[in-house]
Amino acid sequence: MIEQSLVLASEVPFPPSVEDFYLPSIVPWGAHDSYWFTKITALMWVSVAAIIIFFLVTYRKPQLVPTKKQWLAESIYGFVRNNIAVDMLGKRGINFAPYLTTLFVFILLMNFWAIVPFAQISPNSHIAFPAILAVISYVMFIYIGMKHHGGLKYFKHALIPPAPWFILPLLIPIEFFSTFLVRPFSLAVRLFANMFAGHMLLLVFTLGGFAMLNANIWFAPFSLVSWAMTIALTFLEFLVICLQAYVFTVLTASYVQGALADEH
Amino acid sequence: MTGQEPPRNPSGDDDPPPPDTGMGMTAVAYLISGMLVWGAIGWLVDHYVGTKGIFAGIGAVVGIAGGVYLIVRRLGA
Repeated sequence: MIEQSLVLASEVPFPPSVEDFYLPSIVPWGAHDSYWFTKITALMWVSVAAIIIFFLVTYRKPQLVPTKKQWLAESIYGFVRNNIAVDMLGKRGINFAPYLTTLFVFILLMNFWAIVPFAQISPNSHIAFPAILAVISYVMFIYIGMKHHGGLKYFKHALIPPAPWFILPLLIPIEFFSTFLVRPFSLAVRLFANMFAGHMLLLVFTLGGFAMLNANIWFAPFSLVSWAMTIALTFLEFLVICLQAYVFTVLTASYVQGALADEH
Repeated sequence: MTGQEPPRNPSGDDDPPPPDTGMGMTAVAYLISGMLVWGAIGWLVDHYVGTKGIFAGIGAVVGIAGGVYLIVRRLGA
């Protein structure tokens, strides 16, 4: 066991770097310098396929007394619809429940690859994925706001707070910055940074165990502690995965709520 | 749960939104944006006038004040 670990350890690079997030191509042809199909891409397609197949299968023959699978699908949808969409958007929330559920399930599954054995990296740890999701939310809440308030009136509503005129020059730049610049950025970066840091943390503790073992055989107990930490951190990761999927969905709903809100 | 009716009393537009639904994030965003925007404007003024950061400091403080005001107006009762 220890000899095996040592053989492994000599190949383990430490400390881990950003390079560890750029996985090699997994198509058998033209693998050199080709990044069109990596594990990240594969996991994304698997997630999409899994979600589509799961919901199609569970809703194909809906029964009054639900089967286990149907119950699970309905619980997920019901959770997002009742606890996020309707809670925050009122009656109109039902219109947004399908999108919010899709968003929630997609982010949850994409994040979840971070702790699935042999996958062990989340596509969301590349900023491209959270960025596109954030752009969708951004365009959506602006579009909805413009539709609800009527074109440019939305921007007047969003940018001009109820305040005396002489403070407005002070407030409008702040409103513009926080609503139209910070929102998409923070949405994308929050999800990306959480998944990136999670993966990095697990790498540090896993590889660190090997590195210590490699440095000196008497460090073996510390390696064990390091690997025990990896297991504990995996549970923490699970928490972060669920929380970030929830936070992204709730914030998207909250932005839509802001776009739909009337003067108060 | 889809079989269930949606909650009887969904918070309409008149009710205050339920606690902790993105309001914390909005508040933090206002504070930080206030500081950054007016700090940056102050920094530019510094750059043109040739002072060493006095306007950036004033801008940051004024920006935070603006952020707090916005939080009170937009999120307060």
